[in-house]
Amino acid sequence: MKMLATIAWRNVWRSRGRSLVVIGSIVVGIWALIFMLGFMNGFMISYINGAIKHEISHIQIHEANFKKDPNIGFVIPGGMDLAEFLTSNPRIQAVSPRSLTSGMISSPRKSSGGRIYGVIPDRERSVTHHDSLITEGSYFKSDLKNPVIIGKELANTLKVRLNSKVVLTFQDRENNLVAGAFRVAGLLETTSPQINKASAYILMEDLTRIAGLKEGVHEIALLLENPESETVVLPDLRSAHPDLLIESWREIAPELELFLSMTDSFLWVLIGIIMIALIFGIINTMLMAVLERYRELGMLMAIGMNKWRIFMMIVIETIFLSLVGGPIGILLGLMTMYWLGMQGIDLSAYSEGLREYGYSSILYPYIENSSYVYVAAGVIITALLGALYPAYKAVQLNPTEALHTV
Amino acid sequence: METVTDKKIVIETRDIAKVYHDSKIAVQALRDVDLEISEGEFTAIVGPSGSGKTTLLNIIGGLDNPTAGTIKVAGRDISKLKDSERIDFRLHNIGFVFQQYNLIPVLTARENVEFIMLLQKIPVHEMKARSLHLLEEVGLKEKANVRPSELSGGQQQRVAVVRALASRPKFILADEPTANLDSASAANLLDMMARMNQEEGMTFIFSTHDQRVIDKARRVVTLEDGIIKSDEVRS
Ligand SMILES: Nc1ncnc2c1ncn2[C@@H]1O[C@H](COP(=O)(O)OP(=O)(O)OP(=O)(O)O)[C@@H](O)[C@H]1O
Ligand SMILES: [Mg+2]
Repeated sequence: MKMLATIAWRNVWRSRGRSLVVIGSIVVGIWALIFMLGFMNGFMISYINGAIKHEISHIQIHEANFKKDPNIGFVIPGGMDLAEFLTSNPRIQAVSPRSLTSGMISSPRKSSGGRIYGVIPDRERSVTHHDSLITEGSYFKSDLKNPVIIGKELANTLKVRLNSKVVLTFQDRENNLVAGAFRVAGLLETTSPQINKASAYILMEDLTRIAGLKEGVHEIALLLENPESETVVLPDLRSAHPDLLIESWREIAPELELFLSMTDSFLWVLIGIIMIALIFGIINTMLMAVLERYRELGMLMAIGMNKWRIFMMIVIETIFLSLVGGPIGILLGLMTMYWLGMQGIDLSAYSEGLREYGYSSILYPYIENSSYVYVAAGVIITALLGALYPAYKAVQLNPTEALHTV
Repeated sequence: METVTDKKIVIETRDIAKVYHDSKIAVQALRDVDLEISEGEFTAIVGPSGSGKTTLLNIIGGLDNPTAGTIKVAGRDISKLKDSERIDFRLHNIGFVFQQYNLIPVLTARENVEFIMLLQKIPVHEMKARSLHLLEEVGLKEKANVRPSELSGGQQQRVAVVRALASRPKFILADEPTANLDSASAANLLDMMARMNQEEGMTFIFSTHDQRVIDKARRVVTLEDGIIKSDEVRS
């Protein structure tokens, strides 16, 4: 076996140029794989983090009936106290209690349906960071009475500008229509069409006052210190408050999960394509190597090297090729990931379009350590698969004929 | 057909025929070949091109099967062996020397010599001892760690013979071992083979065109159109 390995190793360097081409393509293939994995991962993470950070947060709490029947009466009992209490949980970074109802948002010229949020600005800001997404005006900073913040697109639809007056109309507890006049204090631009086109944010005290509510918390949004602690926090909350509906971001926005699995399968397709390309490259090269050494292989069989050993010699030679290329590719990929992970990829040149997909124009590729193991295993498997046919060809030869070919 | 009668017969062919069918016309490469070879012979198979020398050696060496007839090598009917058994049989009983491309180009002279012994699973120390001793014997000690591409044609053939010898086969079959050599190297190689035949008692069968090589043989079997025309034993 050692002799086989020696011969195989030296054979690798026999056609130096050809071997280097294969090694090079393995290096590039692996690097591309890692880069794509990292890019897609980074993209997904940035997209999901954006959605979590600016829209849905990690965990939302509602009164049990509220989601099915968003009646303004279904408030979380003792909602403010609960929110206060959750603030002291070390695993929870920020808590925002909100009032929430749906209604009409009208300007003198147009009106549009949408959600109306009553927020406590300091709290809300710490969860959804909407203050960083204000394109005009400010986030509840002006002295305007009855301020409202609406999405930029909604403002366009309603044909209102900063300081314009809008009227919010919604139902109170007894299903009576109530209305209040507000002034546009800020325009918001997010990646969520729901927020951009059909949401208005006012102060919680304004909303509860108009609706005539004593307690006005319909929704509590939580941002965790560490997203992974969801597995601890969620069950804890659920067992402490069995009568409330407590959901993670996956349940609140199942489309994110779908997006995740879609990019996942897309990635597998890409990996498959790269691997198939590598397999064909390897088959081609090793087949050339076998045909070139036909006479030599015939001689080896004649003097007593059995088919199994010849088969193994070709397989080992192929594995050596990938063992040289594999680590180089992985190392290059690792270094690229490390560098880009710190540097980020500035997509601002394309971000006009990307604005639709995520918040950050700088993408930080990321790859889990286990992925390197998968990539390495994938390369070995690829090499093995690519070796089988040439090795089979080699053992098929007939020694007398092989020795005759000139 | 007189052979050295007090010696054991180790190769015995009976009415061997070989017909090749791969082209449109069938080619009768051998017909009715009866041949007995005794232990320790130094025999040349001669004849014009196409007379069947290579075919006969290939059949004796178990690389090819006869179309008809029986062949016993070292007491075994090798035409009845399975492919894998046959490779094993060659490994342990037969040393081959071909006209060219005998050596593994990526191995040094010594590694080439040791290659068959490795396949035979000979203990390392014995393997090293045998290869160094034999290489020294044929004057190639200095070239032990050199690859075949740095050896002359004659040196390469000597390494090939040494490799065959080192594995201690019952026979060494050499198909035109000197065909690619100048006459001085050819004579040199033959002298060496003759010496090994004397010293190690190995049976040598080789084919050749070269009259000077024929002169060194102790028995000359002449083939013509696949038939044994003459079989002459010299003193
Ligand atoms: N694989 C083969 N397929 C078809 N015909 C073959 C094959 N091998 C040999 N022959 C034919 O068999 C006959 C004997 O060939 P062989 O190679 O044994 O002759 P040879 O005496 O070794 O000739 P040379 O001196 O040229 O090496 C020739 O007519 C040759 O053309
Ligand atoms: Mg021949």
